[in-house]
Amino acid sequence: MKTGKSSIAKRLLGICTIPAGTILIFYIICAFRGIAFFETSNHVLIFFRSVATVTLTTFALSINLDSGRFDFSLGSIALLASVVGSTITLNYGLPPAAMLVITLIAGIVLGAFSGLLYVLLKLPALITSLGVTLLYESLVSIISGSGVSFGTQPELTQFSKGIPNMILVIVIALAFMYIVMNYTKFGFHYAALKDGQKVAVDTGIKEVGNAIGCYAIAGAMMGMVGYINATLTGTIQASLDFGSIGAMFVAFLPMFIGGFIGRFSENHFGMVLGAVTYAAIQLGFVRLGLSSEVQSLVSALVLVGFLIYLNNEHTLAALFTGKKKGGA
Amino acid sequence: MKKKINLKSKVVEIVSLVALAILAVTYLVMMGDRLSPYMLQTLLNQTIITAVVSTGAVFIYTTGAFDISLGSAVAVSAISGAMVYNKTESLFLMFLTMIAVGLLIELIDSALAAFLNLPVFVTTIAMLSVLSALVKIMIASGGGAKIEVPRAVVKTLDSVGLKVLILVVFIGLCIFIYNYTALGRREKFLGGNPICAKLTGISVKKLSILAFLIAGVGVGLAAFLTVVRAPTITTSTASSIGMDVIIAIVFGGMPASGGARSKISAALVGSVSMVLLSQIMVILNFSAGISQCVKSILFLAVVTLSGLKGRKAMLTR
Repeated sequence: MKTGKSSIAKRLLGICTIPAGTILIFYIICAFRGIAFFETSNHVLIFFRSVATVTLTTFALSINLDSGRFDFSLGSIALLASVVGSTITLNYGLPPAAMLVITLIAGIVLGAFSGLLYVLLKLPALITSLGVTLLYESLVSIISGSGVSFGTQPELTQFSKGIPNMILVIVIALAFMYIVMNYTKFGFHYAALKDGQKVAVDTGIKEVGNAIGCYAIAGAMMGMVGYINATLTGTIQASLDFGSIGAMFVAFLPMFIGGFIGRFSENHFGMVLGAVTYAAIQLGFVRLGLSSEVQSLVSALVLVGFLIYLNNEHTLAALFTGKKKGGA
Repeated sequence: MKKKINLKSKVVEIVSLVALAILAVTYLVMMGDRLSPYMLQTLLNQTIITAVVSTGAVFIYTTGAFDISLGSAVAVSAISGAMVYNKTESLFLMFLTMIAVGLLIELIDSALAAFLNLPVFVTTIAMLSVLSALVKIMIASGGGAKIEVPRAVVKTLDSVGLKVLILVVFIGLCIFIYNYTALGRREKFLGGNPICAKLTGISVKKLSILAFLIAGVGVGLAAFLTVVRAPTITTSTASSIGMDVIIAIVFGGMPASGGARSKISAALVGSVSMVLLSQIMVILNFSAGISQCVKSILFLAVVTLSGLKGRKAMLTR
């Protein structure tokens, strides 16, 4: 049995290789091109904002996807929550903090409603989420027309322009997920249901409440994403015909990286590092001047490449070490 | 009592058809004297592309998988075909290219999942990003914001007869494969119980690839119909088809988990229903937001009723 230092070194290596390696690679490529990876404070802000929104989206996606529930509605929750928050704030002349609280509450309510529909209709989560996405997108359009604009009120657009705010969001979200999933009855029930739905239900765990709770947490995360996005530009653009589903696609790579890092550390901490990796890739692309098309092409290829590795690592290891599969 | 249960089960089975009938009658009543051959042609134009892609996609859904990238696949096929036409001025080569590219895209999709053990839904999501980016890159490579085939060239093909022929032949072929061949039966078996199917010696990989390839033919045909209808291709061409297909198939009565209750007719029933619903909203002069709101409620209602028969005690994942 390996002990002490070698085990810790192995874990550290497993935790740091992907995020640190990615940042290092982009630092080197940028250096060769005569560009600084973080040239201005704005680049640092973009990086941390990206880490924050991607972390939140990853938590929101994974909490249901890990339990086999595919949820298309995440982007529409972010959109509708921010429209509700900003509309109430603007109509009643409330302070920026009120917009944050209202958007967050709206996200929780919308997420819980989505979960409630799922448990009441007893349809596959994917199907319910399609209906919910259509419904929430339509409500955005009905409430706001083509969208909401509050760019002329600078006090409402300050939040996403502060690096400490973004770090605070990441820390609070991570602490929340870490405590809820590892130290509460809800988290224990979640883990039991995830790994064995029938056995867990047979032992008396309340599946319905747990599922609605998961949707509510996902809603809270997406409410926060909506708030950050809205305060970034001061405008919220309405989106119909599933235009909002693209928001969740950023979370797949961090989620799988998080799953990998989770072998050496805590899963949610791994997802934050996955988000760091994703944000580094995105910033690196921007600094290298790649077009958005090339960015999405390379990002998708990185995702596929990483998944190929994850799903075939034993075969690959056997290939490189010369060991046969299943050999004694 | 047994009769009552049977009746309920029968009603549940035909919910989608009942919804289609109600929508059709509502549309006809609302149109009244205004119904003209032109209006019917508009309905056909709006239905046919989604119907063709959905019909091919039923094979994928039957196995319990789904493909979100079909819309982008149609766009890439259409652009490839248009580029070939602009080089060769051959409509036949354009058509062949579209079918070939449709098949190739779906082959890559399925091979990644089958041979590299990737989860199908993630593969198709990654494929969606790749293909969407490819659409932009290919259009930009033409030096403008669009790629087009001369309208005069495809005008002769833009006829109701040809479109109906393509739809009928493709659906007929799919019905034959689905209901009267071992392939169709195995697809349903695989979707209904993958473990059991595997244990009986069915090649899951082969079946998955074949399902995607049939969908690829649908993609190619839809690309052809897209160019025939609107020969100017931009980055937004066919962009909504991916989600329209999912909605149409599920609305048409297809169980999301696939299996024995799957049916080819779901594609056509769902596609026509969705177009009729959109047209009714237009006649009622509803805004885009309210139209979508009604669509979402109706979608959830019909799908819930259709799913009553297959309900389980535990939450469905």
